[in-house]
Amino acid sequence: MNLRVGEELPELVKHPTTRQLVQYAGAQGDFYEIHYDQAYAHSVGLPGVILHGLLKAAFLGQLVTDWLGERGKLVEFEVSYRGVDVPAHPYRCRGRVTNVDGENVDLEVWGEDETGRRTTVGTARVQVSA
Amino acid sequence: MSTTVSLIDRLRSRIGVDGEAVTAIVEAGHVRRFAQAIGDPNQRWKTEAPPTFLVALAPAAPHLEEAEEYGKGWLNGGNRFEYLVPVIIGDRITARGHVADVYEKEGSSGNLLFIVFETEYTNQRGDLVARIRGTMIRR
Repeated sequence: MNLRVGEELPELVKHPTTRQLVQYAGAQGDFYEIHYDQAYAHSVGLPGVILHGLLKAAFLGQLVTDWLGERGKLVEFEVSYRGVDVPAHPYRCRGRVTNVDGENVDLEVWGEDETGRRTTVGTARVQVSA
Repeated sequence: MSTTVSLIDRLRSRIGVDGEAVTAIVEAGHVRRFAQAIGDPNQRWKTEAPPTFLVALAPAAPHLEEAEEYGKGWLNGGNRFEYLVPVIIGDRITARGHVADVYEKEGSSGNLLFIVFETEYTNQRGDLVARIRGTMIRR
């Protein structure tokens, strides 16, 4: 498998909706009101209901597994939530190869809003099959 | 201030103490609903759990009720996933979590309380399948 430092992962653009937030709340079992109750979200100083951090992590997980396919496995994945994101706005997931050491490949991954602000940043390590 | 200090001391006394173990089966229907919810159509999730699924089986970073006297709301600060063995539909997974760290930090708009959890997920054969770290913030 020929991977080069700097290689970019094909970007994944998500279009989260309030319906998806409710679907995710149910599937994960996270019923914190900031993800589906606008009045509650405003009362704690948020711009409205916001995406679950773990939903954004799932998007970035898909970015990596879509790119990797059957060529290897995900070993480590770390994300830091730097800013809030609201539904009805596209969420772009991007990444690139930062290090290649034999079968171990490190990636930088991030999610950005439509203004290009990186609201989730992270890293991933994959092990590619020889 | 003294209330805050004693709250942090109380929370810090839980560092390293194991929470109650949770055991659950990885069900095909649950994995399908989870994959639909995250919008990931990969056929692979018909047999295997997607990378972040384990948090749906047992929370990696719960909202500690006793921390809720601090600030007005929760935020998720971040997550770290380590994968050792693939999680397959039908697996019986046991999650054991504990508080790994508690600290206060000055933010741009007031103080923040950080609670770091670490949860280990083991399968029916006793293999450690994943370790997930989660940082919850009270602000």
